[in-house]
Amino acid sequence: MKITVAQYAKTLHESVKDKSQKEIPEIISGFVKILAKNNQVKNSGKIIDKFSDIYNQENGIVEAEIASREVLSNMLSNKIKSFVKEKYQAKEVILKNIVDEKIKGGIVIKVGDELMDASVSKQLRDLKYKLSN
Amino acid sequence: MNKDHIIEQLKKQIENFETSTLTEKVGTVIEVGDGVAKISGLSDVMASEMIEFLPSEASAKKGPGGIFGVVLNLEEGQIGAMILGACEGIKEGDTVKSTGKILSVPVGENLIGRVVSPLGVALDGKGQIQSEKFYPVEKIAPGVITRKSVSQPVQTGIKAIDSMIPIGRGQRELIIGDRQVGKTAIAVDAIINQKGQDLICIYVAIGQKESKIARIVAELEKHGAMEHTIVVLAGASDPAALSFIAPYAGCAMGEYFMDQGKDVLIIYDDLSKHAWAYRQISLILKRPPGREAYPGDIFYLHSRLLERSARLNEDFGGGSITALPIIETQAGDVSAYIPTNVISITDGQIYLESDLFYKGVRPAINAGLSVSRVGSSAQTKAMKKVAGKIRLDLAQFRELEAFAQFGSDLDEKTRQQIERGRRTVEVLKQGQYEPMSMENQVVALYALTQGFMDDVAVEKISVWEADFHKYLKSSAKDVLSLIAKEKELSEGVVKKLEAAIKDFKDIYQNGA
Repeated sequence: MKITVAQYAKTLHESVKDKSQKEIPEIISGFVKILAKNNQVKNSGKIIDKFSDIYNQENGIVEAEIASREVLSNMLSNKIKSFVKEKYQAKEVILKNIVDEKIKGGIVIKVGDELMDASVSKQLRDLKYKLSN
Repeated sequence: MNKDHIIEQLKKQIENFETSTLTEKVGTVIEVGDGVAKISGLSDVMASEMIEFLPSEASAKKGPGGIFGVVLNLEEGQIGAMILGACEGIKEGDTVKSTGKILSVPVGENLIGRVVSPLGVALDGKGQIQSEKFYPVEKIAPGVITRKSVSQPVQTGIKAIDSMIPIGRGQRELIIGDRQVGKTAIAVDAIINQKGQDLICIYVAIGQKESKIARIVAELEKHGAMEHTIVVLAGASDPAALSFIAPYAGCAMGEYFMDQGKDVLIIYDDLSKHAWAYRQISLILKRPPGREAYPGDIFYLHSRLLERSARLNEDFGGGSITALPIIETQAGDVSAYIPTNVISITDGQIYLESDLFYKGVRPAINAGLSVSRVGSSAQTKAMKKVAGKIRLDLAQFRELEAFAQFGSDLDEKTRQQIERGRRTVEVLKQGQYEPMSMENQVVALYALTQGFMDDVAVEKISVWEADFHKYLKSSAKDVLSLIAKEKELSEGVVKKLEAAIKDFKDIYQNGA
């Protein structure tokens, strides 16, 4: 039977859970050996991504992508952080700031597959749609 | 209007503009090709939900509303969706938004007289179609308690059909035959014949040549038949996804009128191309192929569509949808996969034969293989009376036709039957775009079956018949109106009719 990327990630997560720092390197090297044996090293990138998804979910960590026209100030970042924290009831929020000139202003918050578009370009688009109808 | 006024108005509109920011579910395109996209994300999406592709350039160009798609496959890590529109411009990594709506189309009176795409967008250049009501494209057919058996006829205006293969309102009658034998012509004639009557017609063109549709629409307009007709067009160059949803969309538009208690005639031209479109989508979505590479649910594809044709009983409004699906066979092979499927779903078929067509029998209906399983209960009494003999005459003629070559060696009775058969075939011939009213059909067929045409030469039958109708129209109008009103051949009517026929024959012989 073919073992999927998700299954590898889940197994790895379960085996390192609640283990001490000393044990972990040993488990990892064993895991990599299995990957090599099963010709799955090429998928290691995907497994790492999946692993971090599972880890974040277990520990209440939310990754949020914030697109803005200019780099966000510290104060704004903290405000957004607390907003996301409250909305998703997360213990910790990791913010990733992307600078995108196309949005013209405002911010676009993306968490997982949920998107909040509060950009100027979206509002202009809505206005154009309303005026043309 | 001066410029200040315009600016003032614009200002007002902009002042009133409100925008809100909502949390939306989004996904990203991982793969796109051949009208089908694979998408990751969109965790809460429903099956057959509409999704919106927001290609970076297109979204800026068109405002809200990029290209729509429909979710077909829900898999563990990804979604398979078909794209309803041009898939050029969609690229990997593009954002896809869910709409939370099942795919639906605009419906309503505004659509009548228009040529629209399967999504209800006007294609005839007569301006945007405003409609408040939307109906879902996929809908479960009316249940058994809402239905009633057919009782009212659909007059197609074609003698051969109205007499031998009658169609009732709410029936599903398949039109089947090779290419170029006049399948569409029958459907178009049926639409033209509804002029001034209470039937709303929907012509769904699936994967048809746009030139053919332009010709049909022009012809319908010429005969004033667009006033009660909606044309739903998915052209040959449109994506397969549009061909796939076209019949369902057309049916949804019809269901609106059925719910209003009206009667609808819907033509699916043709379901073979519909099956091809669905096969294409299914194969690209990697669903396992079955016989003739069609997917496993190809039967359900057509059965769920045709099941939506119904005659509702009075408690549910009493509306109806009559369906005339068309199937194109390859070299007369009715035992291929799709034709057998659709034959088994429908309530009968009109079988057109290319041999007959080339012999000059047009419409090229094979009376032996064509049946209508429920239509006879909807036939008018007058028609029933004259039509019963025609089937018999034709069947006997077909049996004896082979002997006809022996000419003089035949006994009197056989010769008579052959002669009658020849005249029957001749009377049932009918030109395109020349539908005939019920009462005219009845009188012509009455004259035929009662032997009034036996002394007219076979070649002259069509001229004789045309003159006969002209004579009745000018000199014996009361007979025609009586039949039209009573829909029955009572003794009084028969007497008057026979007198009229005799009068006409006297004049005709003396004149000729």
